[in-house]
Amino acid sequence: MGGYGDVKLLRDDGKRLDGRTVDEMRPVSIEAGVLPAADGSAMVTHGLNVAVAAVYGPMEAHPRKIQRQDRAVIDVRYNMAPFSTGDRIRPGFNRRSREISKVTAEALESVVLVERYPRSKIRVEIEILAAEAGTRCVGITAAAVALADAGIPMRDMIVGVASGKIEDTVVLDLDKAEDNHGQADLPVGILPNTGEIAFLQMDGDLSIEEFNLAMEYNFKAASEIHVLMVDALKRRYERGDN
Amino acid sequence: MVELVPTLLRQELERLAAEDQRIDGRGQWDSRNVSLEVDCLYNAEGSAKVVWGDTIIYAGVKFEIRTPWPDRPTQGSLMCGAELRPVAHRKYEPGPPSPQSIELGRVVDRGIRESGCIDMEKLCIVPGEKVWGVMIDIHVLSDGGNIFDAAGLAAIAALRTAVVPAERFDVGEDHRLLVNGSPIMASFTRAGGRFVYDPSEEEELGGDERIHITLGDEGHLHSLQKGLRGVFTPSEFAEILAVAEQKCTELREMVAEKEGN
Repeated sequence: MGGYGDVKLLRDDGKRLDGRTVDEMRPVSIEAGVLPAADGSAMVTHGLNVAVAAVYGPMEAHPRKIQRQDRAVIDVRYNMAPFSTGDRIRPGFNRRSREISKVTAEALESVVLVERYPRSKIRVEIEILAAEAGTRCVGITAAAVALADAGIPMRDMIVGVASGKIEDTVVLDLDKAEDNHGQADLPVGILPNTGEIAFLQMDGDLSIEEFNLAMEYNFKAASEIHVLMVDALKRRYERGDN
Repeated sequence: MVELVPTLLRQELERLAAEDQRIDGRGQWDSRNVSLEVDCLYNAEGSAKVVWGDTIIYAGVKFEIRTPWPDRPTQGSLMCGAELRPVAHRKYEPGPPSPQSIELGRVVDRGIRESGCIDMEKLCIVPGEKVWGVMIDIHVLSDGGNIFDAAGLAAIAALRTAVVPAERFDVGEDHRLLVNGSPIMASFTRAGGRFVYDPSEEEELGGDERIHITLGDEGHLHSLQKGLRGVFTPSEFAEILAVAEQKCTELREMVAEKEGN
């Protein structure tokens, strides 16, 4: 969290630079069933972030060494499009996307009823088309809706949300400037019905009290986004194509 | 993943062709529905989304400042690349760029480059020192057939609406990228023994060779590509070229209309 202190992120009225209050999320919209070629798919816009997720499978797991006798494996690829950031990103996997893919897969394996599909693989492809801070969370939310759209049984949905700290103040859902110049970022994947946590990362500096407040904000945001996820799936089945 | 070519699909395509029909009910030279959206992504200096039947493709334009090639000190550069990522179809696997994605990027690149719609001299900032590098990235999200035409359309639409981010690089004021003309691609696949325009996924799967034609505003040819196994006659080519002229004109008007907004 470099560069703290060199940019003012809170206005004199206590609001943030884009006019949000400290516990206010950026606008979110979700659509399910957006990619005809996929078994399940979703597009999530969260602020200026745009993430698309596609699900293929369950299918035969290959190479065979990745097979698990007792359950399915979830193969996640989180990828940022070359034009999704300020400076163009060279296509291909890097260390950051590999790590995000790994922990996202493990989070999704925690909610999908993987025991139902031994020796198989479920492919989850997360493509970030536009990035404005918080893309891993937007990707998780998109992946969960895409899995549900594919009809894959899950214990619960999973919602990606993040809170952080700017100018010693805990705020919900960091935008780009806040992420670049803030003091902490706490992205989590929340199971909205059970209240459990399947994804957790953090970097920066938070006191225990600040952590607790950030988590409180995250749970509030997760239940708001969950409503939109369910609504997107309902609209998709009312639409009734493929 | 190797796609099996179902014998039954091939037979069905042949039967339909004999009756002058297509598997989705279209006529031989009919297109599927095409929709185009421009300036749809934050961070990309130019962007376009094309939904062409079941095919969905985004193109994004980014700029960088680089030193010019020593033998062309006053010319910028253009690069167009494509990624057939596993998101787009279950047949695509992760890994380094496949020959198919390289072919797609290069065919689109040639059409744009050779049409001369981008004047490389206009991309010069300081001769011998600083020029703009323009990079078009084609991102296929759903392959429902005929990704070439959709990619070409997305690329030129993104380019024609791109804004050069001069302020961010501290080299002047932001300005619209100068693009003289709209090269447009039209693609044909042999399905059931005859060529059809805008092949669907099934027609590609059960079909043979494909031909991609890129035409400029004056109706001149700027890029041709024959792909996959199969042969064709000059008279077959003359026939599809005539169709291409009409299709390219229609799509060029669609791009012009979106730009006006």
